[in-house]
Amino acid sequence: MTNINGKTYAMTAITPMKPWKTPILKVFFFLLAHIKPLQARLVGLSFIHFARWVVIKRQAFPRLANSQPIENLSYDYLLFFSNFNGTWNQYIDAFADVLADGLNLVWRWSEKFPMSRPVTAFKRYISLVQFDTDYYYTAYPRATTNDVKAAHRVCAAVEDLGRNCNEMSPAEFSAAYLQFLVKVQKDLGSTGVGPVGT
Amino acid sequence: MAKLNAADIQGFAMRGYTFPVARFVLMGIANAEGGRALLLRILDQVTTAERWDVKPDSTLNIAFTYAGLVRMGLPDATLLSFPVEFVQGMKARAPILEDSGNSAPERWDAVWRDSQVHVWVAIYGESLDVLARRCATLRQFLQETGGARILYEQDASALPDANGGYSTKEHFGYTDGFGNPDFEGADRKSQPGQGKLTADGKWVPLATGEFLLGYPDEAGEIPAGPVPHLLAKSGTFMVYRKLHQNVATFRHYLDEHGSRYAGGKEKLAAKFVGRWRDGTPLLLSPDKEDPAIVTNPARSTNFTYGEDSGGSRCPIGAHMRRVNPRDAFGFGGALINRRRIMRRGLPYGVYTPPDQPANDADEHGVIFIVLNASISRQFEFVQQQWIQYGNDSHQGSDRDPLMGAHNGQGKFMIQGDTNASNPPYMCTALPSFVETRGGDYFFMPSLTALRLIATNSVDPR
Repeated sequence: MTNINGKTYAMTAITPMKPWKTPILKVFFFLLAHIKPLQARLVGLSFIHFARWVVIKRQAFPRLANSQPIENLSYDYLLFFSNFNGTWNQYIDAFADVLADGLNLVWRWSEKFPMSRPVTAFKRYISLVQFDTDYYYTAYPRATTNDVKAAHRVCAAVEDLGRNCNEMSPAEFSAAYLQFLVKVQKDLGSTGVGPVGT
Repeated sequence: MAKLNAADIQGFAMRGYTFPVARFVLMGIANAEGGRALLLRILDQVTTAERWDVKPDSTLNIAFTYAGLVRMGLPDATLLSFPVEFVQGMKARAPILEDSGNSAPERWDAVWRDSQVHVWVAIYGESLDVLARRCATLRQFLQETGGARILYEQDASALPDANGGYSTKEHFGYTDGFGNPDFEGADRKSQPGQGKLTADGKWVPLATGEFLLGYPDEAGEIPAGPVPHLLAKSGTFMVYRKLHQNVATFRHYLDEHGSRYAGGKEKLAAKFVGRWRDGTPLLLSPDKEDPAIVTNPARSTNFTYGEDSGGSRCPIGAHMRRVNPRDAFGFGGALINRRRIMRRGLPYGVYTPPDQPANDADEHGVIFIVLNASISRQFEFVQQQWIQYGNDSHQGSDRDPLMGAHNGQGKFMIQGDTNASNPPYMCTALPSFVETRGGDYFFMPSLTALRLIATNSVDPR
């Protein structure tokens, strides 16, 4: 019923591609998958849980029963699915500000894609091809992906400290505790309700 | 970059006047005809951005709320073309700004709570006498035209220093007003650290369109603004906020935690903001104030956070690092160049020297003014995502230690290292040090646009 669950937003966009263009995109996807540095900028956007593009070829749409009419589709489709923290605008802004070239390589084969800069036209395009989420489950609505990663680091550090502290003198523990605190001091933000509209 | 037409831009949008006193006159317009007559009278009083051979003794600038532009009789097509946040006004945006609790609009000053301000006239001057003279002229215009009535006059003034002059400090004792963004066409020298970073680590001015309508912005677009173009060009949007400061609460919190924190009270105060109270950036001088840095424009804003990614010098959640993260989010700063705001403002109210007992209830705070091309993309974003929330800086839901709406529940983590004088320290049970008392969103037109409005000749397309 909604694209927003707690601090997380689910974006689904489906765009038509002329079938002769699909193999070109597939080549680019192959390179992207095997050359890690190409992914670095996307991975560096820490508020994105994941982003996934999938090509659905026009013959690949399921026909669930004989009663379902046979369709002859003229286009292959590119499905984009992403979960992120923050606002819709912030997400697309970040795409246009730091990933413009990469995104153009992915989406330019889709019909009527205006390129990712200037951002206003890009936003309009996404809003036209976006589908709303019917059912959306999130395990940690009061946490972002940064919070979850930070919690994992804090847990591991607490366990380390616990494992090693039984034999320590008070002075040794004091020093070990300081080391522990310095190790986790960047990871102690609170969880909670996010800002409105994010 | 073409040279900007300084004679057509209101000076307030282009430079900080550095006058010690100001009066903000808030008015309601009677009707379109009277409002236009008044604006025609005021036109030649408006201070432009033209270069000063001799600095005048005072300035005058003018801006309108959306309700004010409606009252001035602008065409429907124009009114419908303004950005939604400006149309709604600041009160309606309270949920986004997190103006709640003591900052909620129903608790604002009467002028902002119970009435609708249409026009803002700002008079800055070198003395109270000069202000009085300019205000008398303004009142005379009001009388002659019957165009508007004064709802409230907000005085603001730099705080006194020890020698009977004016200081650059605010009520909490911090030296204020270091970082304002450089942009293309501004008539002043670029200062390293105030514009945007280039790929090779240099500082260059931001695009004009981040601050003035009608020019390309950092995204290569002309910012969204009203039609016709002539009405928008060289104008800007202004946020006016009256921020009350709980001086006693702040001093008490600093005393209490300063005695527990091994770095001491002054270092704790510095960790809140990212600058020592004299203005020295923690990043450049983590252990002591350094006047040589503060007084040197080539150094006072010339730093990045890359070498302090752990936050042991300047905490990751410190005020200054939140509102202008520079390179802290990576990508050479590309994620923040469209979130910069130009600030103006002055303290208001009673000053309590550090050795006198302070209280929260007195009238004292800061008139905080922002100029930007998009209130929602720039000011509101910084306020909502970076001051009242911490995910972009990896601090979860922790808020800005100084400006956040903490309501006694706030938390602020000060990163440290293994040096005894700089340990990690967690500030808990943070109260709200600052509360909103009122304000609104304004459009500050160019001189051309003011004349169009005053003569009822905005093209009604």
